[in-house]
Amino acid sequence: MLSLDFLDDVRRMNKRQLYYQVLNFGMIVSSALMIWKGLMVITGSESPIVVVLSGSMEPAFHRGDLLFLTNRVEDPIRVGEIVVFRIEGREIPIVHRVLKIHEKQNGHIKFLTKGDNNAVDDRGLYKQGQHWLEKKDVVGRARGFYQENRSVKDRNCKLLIRSLHWDCDDPHE
Amino acid sequence: MAAAAAQGGRTGGGGGSSGAGGGSSCGTGSSRSGLLDKWKIDDKPVKIDKWDGSAVKNSLDDSAKKVLLEKYKYVENFGLIDGRLTICTISCFFAIVALIWDYMHPFPESKPVLALCVISYFVMMGILTIYTSYKEKSIFLVAHRKDPTGMDPDDIWQLSSSLKRFDDKYTLKLTFISGRTKQQREAEFTKSIAKFFDHSGTLVMDAYEPEISRLHDSLATERKIK
Repeated sequence: MLSLDFLDDVRRMNKRQLYYQVLNFGMIVSSALMIWKGLMVITGSESPIVVVLSGSMEPAFHRGDLLFLTNRVEDPIRVGEIVVFRIEGREIPIVHRVLKIHEKQNGHIKFLTKGDNNAVDDRGLYKQGQHWLEKKDVVGRARGFYQENRSVKDRNCKLLIRSLHWDCDDPHE
Repeated sequence: MAAAAAQGGRTGGGGGSSGAGGGSSCGTGSSRSGLLDKWKIDDKPVKIDKWDGSAVKNSLDDSAKKVLLEKYKYVENFGLIDGRLTICTISCFFAIVALIWDYMHPFPESKPVLALCVISYFVMMGILTIYTSYKEKSIFLVAHRKDPTGMDPDDIWQLSSSLKRFDDKYTLKLTFISGRTKQQREAEFTKSIAKFFDHSGTLVMDAYEPEISRLHDSLATERKIK
């Protein structure tokens, strides 16, 4: 039999201690999972933290920034707000700004989006035959972001959580 | 003469082969327990990394446990440990339920169930913290001494220990709770771990065992005097 010295600690444990080690690992994983699910419940969004993947929202967001989202039913979507949405049939959510909204009396909304750094609106990205997005495509609205400090002098990460409440009159504040 | 020797050799060989046949049948019968015996290394001297505080504490605790259980033949009571394991298992169960439910019914239909599971999980975490802080404290062994006459309830021996981070002073506390009078007596010692380990990290039982025995006897003799 091979002398596996590094397994000595495991061999010396009885059943209960082994089970406790397994449980310990399970609890660490569960804690992370429960924090994530808790965030999902609190914010109402199915993905409360997303990463910006493309440069289509520069100079506001750069690739690699983290966005914190909420998706509350009470807050209506307004023009100028930054939404994260998912197009039907595509896995990856997109972060763009709302350009136009059609709203019915009963609160039903159709809206059009465009990236700040793009030349045209997103109709080219939508599904074949789809011209507007609806509430069900929305993953959440951006409420804060975390950006690595880009100055040469200071490379440490600084937390910049700013409330992103954009006025309709002045979207490029 | 050569033929006789050859014959003797053949019968000897025959006897040898029957012995081997008997030995192999024994082997297969107990091969599973043989593998388990090879896995368990209770007799091998304990060797750990002497700079790792938690490994040092665990090895000292386990050796103290071994001394009490083997030398004095006490019976270990798993009640405290089982309590902690149950709380942890229930917490993990809530987490698994949340995971599976969310997979079967995608968000947002699963919101109430998720909220319930998350809150229950953190409540269980709170219960676990209270349990380990107040009920379990740092006790790692609860052993019973069965009364030989069978009439009185068992005496309980409890071992608890502490070793501060980056410190070398190990404190071992032995508590004796009499079954009959429910009185509690305790004894402890604080020694540097350098007294029990040699330079390569092997625990020297010859130096450790007398300490445990001394603690135990000091409590046991008091009982006799009373």
